[in-house]
Amino acid sequence: MKKSKSVLFLFLAPAVLIFLLVFVYPIIRTVLMSFFKIDAVTDSISAWQFTGVENYIKLASTSIFRSSMLNLLKIWLFGGIIVMSLALLFAVILTSGIRFKKFFRAVIYMPNIVSAVALATMWLQYVYSPQYGLFKDMFSALGLDGLAKIQWLSSDHKFTALLIAYCFGMVGYHMLIFMSGIERISPDLYEAARIDGANKIKQFRYMTLPLLKGIFKTNITMWSITSVGFFLWSQIFSTVTADSQTITPMVYMYLQTFGAGNAVTERNAGLGAAVGVLLSICVVLVFTVCNRLLKDDDLEF
Amino acid sequence: MAKEKEIQEKFNLKKEIKMAPGYIIVLIWVLFTFVLLGWVLAASFSTTPDIFQGKTLEFPTGFHFENYVKAWGAQNVSVIFMNSLVYSLISCVLLILICAPAAYALSRFDFKINKLIQTSFVSAMGVPVVMIVLPLFGLVSALNVLNNELSNRAVLILLYVGINIPYTTIFLLTFFSNLSRSYEEAAAIDGCNEVKTFWKIMFPMAQSGIVTVTIFNFINIWNEYFLSLIFANSDKLRPVAVGLYSMINSMRYTGDWAGMFSSVIIVFIPTFILYIFLSEKIIAGVTGGVKG
Repeated sequence: MKKSKSVLFLFLAPAVLIFLLVFVYPIIRTVLMSFFKIDAVTDSISAWQFTGVENYIKLASTSIFRSSMLNLLKIWLFGGIIVMSLALLFAVILTSGIRFKKFFRAVIYMPNIVSAVALATMWLQYVYSPQYGLFKDMFSALGLDGLAKIQWLSSDHKFTALLIAYCFGMVGYHMLIFMSGIERISPDLYEAARIDGANKIKQFRYMTLPLLKGIFKTNITMWSITSVGFFLWSQIFSTVTADSQTITPMVYMYLQTFGAGNAVTERNAGLGAAVGVLLSICVVLVFTVCNRLLKDDDLEF
Repeated sequence: MAKEKEIQEKFNLKKEIKMAPGYIIVLIWVLFTFVLLGWVLAASFSTTPDIFQGKTLEFPTGFHFENYVKAWGAQNVSVIFMNSLVYSLISCVLLILICAPAAYALSRFDFKINKLIQTSFVSAMGVPVVMIVLPLFGLVSALNVLNNELSNRAVLILLYVGINIPYTTIFLLTFFSNLSRSYEEAAAIDGCNEVKTFWKIMFPMAQSGIVTVTIFNFINIWNEYFLSLIFANSDKLRPVAVGLYSMINSMRYTGDWAGMFSSVIIVFIPTFILYIFLSEKIIAGVTGGVKG
């Protein structure tokens, strides 16, 4: 069918123009900015001083930035292992022919639709409260006095507390993705495996897991993208600005460029831009490594 | 088909017992979620001294609806609530008006940079917001639009629309690709022009996809935090996420815990109600948007 150019333009122009303005132009400019020393974000290009990779070197030698990257790595790795295991476990249980599947699924996914500020406040002000907290009551009711005594919000346990609360909210989303993958596997395959004498665990190990390769890739990519943007939870869980226990690169960048704190000695928007570039490189790296390791074989199912 | 099977399935004790560990694990999780929400809801009707005496669930001094009245009025929850409602609704409508035609064009028209646009949109979904926020802030400050209330609101809406364009377009693109071309061919034979064909015939046919993506956009924009934190210049303009955050901080200092929990519930309610009615659609949308 022949389509006229003017119609094409009319349909596409608004979306593409806004996209260029909100994504393409800022991305290019951020990459450029990361190689300059810039006193204020609002400075025009003529006021920038080219410093090469100086910003990156400076970041690498800033101890608070290094702890923020370490925190992010811990969130990504430990949080990722916890979230993926629970999500996969729930997905397997819910697809095994359990009753009230839709209800369970809806409840487990629910934290994802709630404002993260509200959710984080519930954890911080209720679950972890040393006076009337759910964890305290729950663990003392179970007789686990050691766990009940933990001061979750003390600096020793704050990071663990943050990680648990964050993971609780993330499980549902990744569970849904696993479920969609498992449901796509034909029941005939399981029937055949059962007839051949494979028990449930063997079926899971030798059929479900290999067939879920692509789904793992999606889940890990999505997890990495959300981890990199870790900001709000860290901000809510830290009582002081630039708390080395809970700081993440995005919080560092926010403090660095928008100067809402005492952590910043030098205003340099170039440093903030370099943080953005580094985080983007992390996402691309994870994506590439995943694609290499979890190559979609030509498994048909 | 799956539904019929569920109804026909008879209660089989042996099978249920075999699945008991599964039930127990899931039930513990679900119970925990309910206790968490239930307690916060109870606390929102309680008083700060009762909460600290651990009597939240006993209501020794009765139900305190005035927590809500106070939060809504004196604590300005009404302001941030209405802000978010306006931002979310306008952005959702704009997103559909902008993305539906674009998605349709990408699904139907053959032109040189079609593939390039699609790839860029897909990659943009993985771009961290730190990568775009600095130049956007520079641009907005240079235009000096943050000093005026109305233009500041417009900037926020433009940003909410902008960051959701890739996702919305790609979601609708798969939807339009699945619609048969024969409708347009029939319309063309009847002398209907392309613009009319789209709005009168194809747009209504994509309705269910449009509804799903709009629910998602609404929830995302309602809960958006980082951009609002940077671009909303005054208390009057803040949406719920940022407003709630600063409110919680101040209530912690004034020691009004009950009021804090009722603010949390007020902010929680709109997306929660949407979810109660539309959870099936939302869940189907999550897995429809991402492919393995």
